[in-house]
Order: sequence, then C-alpha cells, then structure tokens
Amino acid sequence: MSSAEKRSDPSEKAAGPAFECRSVTVELLHKFSRKRIIEDISFLVRSGEFLTIVGPSGTGKTTLLRAMGGLTPTASGSVLVQGKQLDGPPDDVVIVFQDYSNALLQWRTVAANVAFGIERALDRREIEKRVHGALALVGLENNAEDYPWQLSGGMQQRVQIARALALRPAVMLMDEPFAALDAMTKASMQDELLRVRDRTGTSFVFITHDIEEAVYLGDRIAVLKGSPGRIEQIFEIGLPAPRDQLSTRQLPKFLEYRYAVHQAIGRGYA
Amino acid sequence: MHKNSFIARINWPGTAVFVFVGLAWEAAVRSGLLEYEYLPAPSAIGLGFGELASQGILAPDIAHTLISVAIGWTVAIVLGISLGFLLGLSPTARRYSLASIEVLRPMPGVAFAPVGLLLFGFSLKTEMVVTILPVLWPVLVNTIGGVTGVHQRLYDVGRTFRLGRKDTILRIILPAAMPPIVVGARISLGLALVLAVVAEMVGNPDGLGYGIVREQQALRPDLMFAYIVTVGFIGIALNAGMLALAEALFPSFRQLRGGQ
Repeated sequence: MSSAEKRSDPSEKAAGPAFECRSVTVELLHKFSRKRIIEDISFLVRSGEFLTIVGPSGTGKTTLLRAMGGLTPTASGSVLVQGKQLDGPPDDVVIVFQDYSNALLQWRTVAANVAFGIERALDRREIEKRVHGALALVGLENNAEDYPWQLSGGMQQRVQIARALALRPAVMLMDEPFAALDAMTKASMQDELLRVRDRTGTSFVFITHDIEEAVYLGDRIAVLKGSPGRIEQIFEIGLPAPRDQLSTRQLPKFLEYRYAVHQAIGRGYA
Repeated sequence: MHKNSFIARINWPGTAVFVFVGLAWEAAVRSGLLEYEYLPAPSAIGLGFGELASQGILAPDIAHTLISVAIGWTVAIVLGISLGFLLGLSPTARRYSLASIEVLRPMPGVAFAPVGLLLFGFSLKTEMVVTILPVLWPVLVNTIGGVTGVHQRLYDVGRTFRLGRKDTILRIILPAAMPPIVVGARISLGLALVLAVVAEMVGNPDGLGYGIVREQQALRPDLMFAYIVTVGFIGIALNAGMLALAEALFPSFRQLRGGQ
C-alpha cells in the first residue's frame, strides 16, 4: 500500500482545500416558521482527506451534508469547492445517500446505474471503461448485469458508491452510508472505502452516528452538537495507515480517541 | 418465450376446472337437465364457430373490433399519459383539475352513446365517443399516481448528478413511474375491448358486438355464443400480449408480476 503511505505524509496534503465551509448557517421551513438547523459551521476538507462528522440525531448532520452538496441553500455563509463558491450542486461533488434502495434506479442494471452520472457527458468506450473500473473498485465486476433488487443491501450500497466513483468526483459526501448494514458487511465496506480513497485520492466527508466508525475511518473528526447544530470540536486522528479492523481497533490511541469523542459529544450518548 | 416456461406457466388446475365446467354444461344440456330453448351446448357453439368462419364473417368482425380497440386505446393512453404527466408534475394543474376528474370519472361511458349517435350517426366515431372517455381514466389516474409517487430521494439523485429538467423527466420520472403506468394501460386495454363491444351493440352496427346482437335477433344462440366466446378469447390474448410487451420493454417489470 505505497499510495496509503504517500497519502499519510502530511506534506502531500498541503495542496489546498478541496472543500471549505465558511460560517455556514442553514434554516429550513418548519411548520410555518423558519427553524435554524445548523449554525456557523466552518471547516476545511483537505484534498484526499477522510473527514468524518459525528453527532447525535437532530444536530443537522444530514442538513449539513445536503448544504455541502448544493441540495439545500444556505441562509448565510458560503460553501467553496476547490476555491469556487457553490450555488446548486457542484460539478466535482457527489452525494451517496443512506437509503440505497431508494437512491438506486431499480429499473436499470447495476452497470446502467453506475453509468447514470456519466452517460450523457462521455463517449461509449470511456463510459464502459469507467463503469468497469468503478465496479472493480467496489468488487462488483460479476454483477454488472444484475438488477439492484437482486442484490443484498451491502452490494446495493456498493453500487451507489460505484455510481458516485464513476464520476471521478473530487469530493464524495456520504450520509450514514453503512447505517443499515450488518456489522460484518459494515467492517468490510469501511476497509473498501479506505482503499478506494487511497487509490483515487478522492476526498470524503462521511457522516455517521457511530463513534467507532468515525475514529476508524477519519483523518479528522468533526463533532456536531446542539440544536441548532454547531461544530463542537475537531479531532486530528493520528492512527497509522493502512488501518486494520483488528489491530487498529485495539490500539490504545484508538481507544483514547474514542473516549475523547464520546466526551465531546457528551454523556448519555452511546 | 421458452417452450418449457410456457408449459410451466399454464395453470393446470385452473384449466381442469374450465374443462370440467364445459363438460358438465354439455352433459346437462344433452341429458335435458338444463332445458332452455335458446341455450346451446358447448359442442353446438363450437360448430357455430365453424359456420361463421366458413361464411367469412368472423374475421372481418374481429378485425373491426380490434381496430376500434386499437384506436380507442391508443388515443386514450397518449392523452392519459401526457395529461397524467402534466397533472403529476404541476401541483397547480392538479389543484384546478382533480375535482373535475373526480366528477367525470364515475360517469358510465355508455351514457354518451346517444350523444355520439346524434352527433356522428352509426359510425366508428360514435364508437370512439363511448370508448375513449372511460378508457382514459385508469391510465390517467395511474400516471398521476406514478409521477407524484416518485421517491423524493430520486430527485436528490438527479440533482447531485446535475440533471436538467428534461433529463430528470426522461431519465428519472418516466422510468420510475412506468410500472403504475403500464398497469393503468393494461386495465385500459381490457376496458377498451368491453366498451368497443358495447358501442357496437348500441351504436355502430359492426364488429363482434353487433355480431352478438345480430345473431340474437336471428335466433341463432349458437352463433351468438360463438361471438361471445370470441370476445373472451380476444380479451385473454390482449392481456397476455400486454404483459409480454411490458416484460420485453421493461425487464425489471417481472418483479411486479408476483401473483399473476
């Protein structure tokens, strides 16, 4: 995993932020009044970085991600993608949703789902190449002609990830993508995602309410707290790469980070 | 269709009941258990088919009815799908027109037969007046339901992949709404046959519907039943054809078949 080592070298990250939130506030219409969901959110996402965002439910994690993806307008503040201010869904950013069965096009085969985001922009050979490459990255080369409803939940979520990867985005925004998966599938998907990041250099913003997942995956963790949600703290996670489900999770540092994030979120939240 | 799968798809117990009822009917008529002057045995109906076919009047009658079904159904689904999209996509259009639809929908199409007769006389146009309106509803209502029922997440997907309005309609909404639209079109097709036959009985003296009335008035119940059975078989064939077409066009439609 030479690319992983390269990536963990801090000097490689100095290429400038892939993504930036500057004092982002989002208000949504709620029963005839505007309700402030998130407030004054500022952070950077470095190029190739894996940023996880944790927080209890109701702190506006999904709202934040939708604002970053251009699906929800901000009330104030700005979101910048590679230095350009965002209005509407940006070119190089794609969202992976939690509810894969709703987010996949059930009438299309796996390959046609993966081609969805690129089929209008590229010629056929390039599309085939990218679809094949994206399916290989998530280990679904042999399911190209299946329909999503013939696959297990974990495989369906892989299809959605492959569909996002085929676009070769600079940033992938993931909204609790593994929340509906069983523990074993979840663990292998986590490792797969880290491998994808190492191979492609894509930046990830990954929302979860699972603290261990956040620590395991993250280069940094942003803790979202309160209502309206604010960034409570940002942790720099100095765990060695590549991460490993068994050994990484047993490192004293892993447990320390886990404890610290728990503390930051507050007691009563497991 | 693979031959084995065709044989596997035949409902043998159902077929057995059908054959048994036919045999019982035959036996009851022959033994005098059922004694009506104008109730023929199945064998007599079978001979009636032969008579109609040899006179060369069955085929043109079938052709006429099929053509009016085809015209009525095509007009209805084109209208129904386009109106359904308009209403499904525009809450304003829905607000203005749903009340009218709910008023018009329960109206029996046959009630318009006298109107058609006054306007167009005994003609195919009269047949269309009776056919099109009732046939429109299932496909219209199902299209509205299909379009409004597209999951919000699919719109999010369209937006995160930066689809324009046209692509969102063609590549997300249309295919996502297709299963209910196909179901509506299938119901409409069955209705189109019923209404075409009714229209031929009361309005346009042509086709299978008129054949039924004509043979009834000629006191030829065997021929009359032959016409009725023909209508039944056409109904079965149209339904099967529609299902096959839906499966050929949308391979994922198979998952909807379930209890078919």
